[in-house]
Amino acid sequence: MSIKDKVPVTILTGFLGSGKTTLLNRILSEEHGKRIAVIENEYGEVGIDQGLVINADEEVFEMSNGCICCTVRGDLIRVLGNLMKRRDKFDYVLVETTGLADPGPVAQTFFMDEEISSEFTLDGIVTLVDAAHIDQQLGRSDESSEQVAFADVLVLNKTDLVSDDALDTLESRLRDMNRMTRIIRAENAKVPIETVLNLSAFDLDQILKRRPTFLEPEYPFEWTGVYNLDAGKYQLMLEEGPDPEMSLVALTNQGESEEELKDGAESSVRLYAEKTNTLEPGNTIPYGEHINLKLEDKGNKSFILNIEKPTKIGLFTQHTAEEFNMKVIKCDENKEIPFNTERFWQAEHEHDDEVGSIAIERFGDVDPEKLNTWMGRLLSEKGVDIFRTKGFISYSGNPRRIVFQGVHMLFTAQPDKEWGNEPRRNQLVFIGRNLNEKEMQEGFDKCLI
Amino acid sequence: MPDIEPFSPRGMFHEGWTAEVNDYAIACGWALKGKQFIVGDVAGGIFAFEGDTGKIIWKKENTHSGGLLTMAIHPEGEIFATSGQDGNVQICNCHEGKVIKTLDLGKCWVEHLKWSNDGLFLAIASSKKVYVFNEVGEEKWVSEDHPSTISAITWSNKNELATACYGRVTFFDIVNNKTNQKLEWQGSLVSMELSPDGDIVACGSQDNSVHFWRRSTGMDAEMTGYPGKPSHLSFDDSGKLLATSGSERITVWSFIGNGPEGTMPGELCHHTEPISSLAFSNKGMLVASGSRDGSVVASFLKNDGNGDPVGAAFAGDLVGAISWRPDDCALAAVNAKGVVNVWKFKVRTNLFSKGFK
Repeated sequence: MSIKDKVPVTILTGFLGSGKTTLLNRILSEEHGKRIAVIENEYGEVGIDQGLVINADEEVFEMSNGCICCTVRGDLIRVLGNLMKRRDKFDYVLVETTGLADPGPVAQTFFMDEEISSEFTLDGIVTLVDAAHIDQQLGRSDESSEQVAFADVLVLNKTDLVSDDALDTLESRLRDMNRMTRIIRAENAKVPIETVLNLSAFDLDQILKRRPTFLEPEYPFEWTGVYNLDAGKYQLMLEEGPDPEMSLVALTNQGESEEELKDGAESSVRLYAEKTNTLEPGNTIPYGEHINLKLEDKGNKSFILNIEKPTKIGLFTQHTAEEFNMKVIKCDENKEIPFNTERFWQAEHEHDDEVGSIAIERFGDVDPEKLNTWMGRLLSEKGVDIFRTKGFISYSGNPRRIVFQGVHMLFTAQPDKEWGNEPRRNQLVFIGRNLNEKEMQEGFDKCLI
Repeated sequence: MPDIEPFSPRGMFHEGWTAEVNDYAIACGWALKGKQFIVGDVAGGIFAFEGDTGKIIWKKENTHSGGLLTMAIHPEGEIFATSGQDGNVQICNCHEGKVIKTLDLGKCWVEHLKWSNDGLFLAIASSKKVYVFNEVGEEKWVSEDHPSTISAITWSNKNELATACYGRVTFFDIVNNKTNQKLEWQGSLVSMELSPDGDIVACGSQDNSVHFWRRSTGMDAEMTGYPGKPSHLSFDDSGKLLATSGSERITVWSFIGNGPEGTMPGELCHHTEPISSLAFSNKGMLVASGSRDGSVVASFLKNDGNGDPVGAAFAGDLVGAISWRPDDCALAAVNAKGVVNVWKFKVRTNLFSKGFK
């Protein structure tokens, strides 16, 4: 049976009071054309208004081998096993877990049980977060950070109870914990249904389409603009922004293809690691150096760019151009030169939580055997702490890219579409607890050819 | 839909009759000493057919709101019980299908029903509790909560009931309200069968293994290596052989001598997709198997668990349940599309037809 014939299942998790039942009712009332079966583990005070609701106590079944990755949810196997006999009666399944549910066994059930995986496909894990209380909950319980870590979509609910600043801080905290997730802000669980259903969240292509930067490493800069400039004198003009200063690297001969941008980014990362040179407004910007623009003064501040012969200039800036309304102006004509290409980068953040994500991106091919050995060892040693793995790999000699999916120690590697003319590269994201980024990157690098 | 081509009955299977019910057929059984065949579908339809011809005798629909979960025909064959997602059990008579008694056990699904061999008791499992009622529907005994939802029940003798759930099998003396024995093992037990003498307990487990216990010695053993979970188990009437599902092959363990520990099981490879139903004949070493591919095969087994197919037929779609007629001269199979097939089962030559109908 192909994935298209399987019934999609969405898991709704979140602490008690985060708004799971409200979201459930919203889905049921807005998707009245769809026949949705609901499996409910949490018997809340808010009832569910629909026919096919099955109440089941959460039953976590560990296996005699003691492996947490083999742990499954007996209640889901039982109820779905019965539902699949009536599959013409419904075309979607929603599972509302209890607030304290560990999403691992729920997800594993769809990989581990052959009868279930032959009829159902896990479409996505949606975690509701009570914006007013999640900060405390994250500190107090492992379950809530695991629910955040497993989520394909995080609904930041009850935003009306929290200030915008606090929401921004919270969002970046959640983003640090899970960089694969999509965060949606909502009041009263009011979210567009298409953002929570039919995500094919376990389908990497879909994720990449939606969030092309999800697999990226973090950079010390957020933005790059490439400007096509003739010889002459230019002003880099900035207004007031969020910071009294901003770091920048300007590169000449900057190409615009994705690969050239990444090369530029790699050089800039190295330059950013060097000591910075502070420039006052009116100073000339040197090329290929880490500089720091002083932006304390009110109003417009400008810096000089001298171009000797026509070239493409790449500006790798700590913040986005928009934040300072940054413009490049040709001095003699007093004309603004727009950028040819812009590129946003995943900016670096401080990591406070134990739960976080690690991304590895490398061009080139890997040796399948070495990779298997490394992944096998990594997952057997750290599988308990690695919640989810996603990514794709370029095996040497294989014309197709290999897609990886994993929940704890379980992982699948399947050949996907052909590489064609695309540059061959590898992207992997691990979400887990206390992961050692450097060690994992070094381990991966040893698998490269 | 199955990938295999339809084929006509071959070997000892002969054309019998076919009929249809409204939905995915999940339960079936012979009543009135083989004169009647009753089928239950997942939507709660119950249909009674004439055993020889397939003519419909009576039918009723929507017996359990939310759907039917299981059915058990009384050993005398005059009454039967059904249960469903509505938390109810209905005891009905076979002649007209009329409800004699409805038992309301609450909101939880009632997933397992078993009559005791002498027919005096009906055991009912609903969620974490098991209840025992008598033939007229009076409650005689109820268990405490089990650690998880009960996954299988079976009678070991006339007063002793066995239950399986996550982590253990428990034997209850339901007349004296005593727990006779607890067999513990950390694993999710998904199926259970007892040998006819009640000594060997076999359970299929979620971790793709079969676990055995011998009650008399307390010895236990684990048989691993199944590709899938063994949801279907069947002992032959002598208790020598245990057939198990868990893949497209049937794995047969022989308890003769010191086995099955340390022995190689018999393997029957007749199907292209996993086994979805399994039943030994009422007498003798014939095992019938139905598969997700829609094929039904009967195999004659030797003492070591290996054997040869003696007949095969095509049921059209995933085989939901199979049932030998009490005299073993016919085999019924019901499928996921609601099609009922009953084949006569006899040797192909007239010379040896003695003893077969």
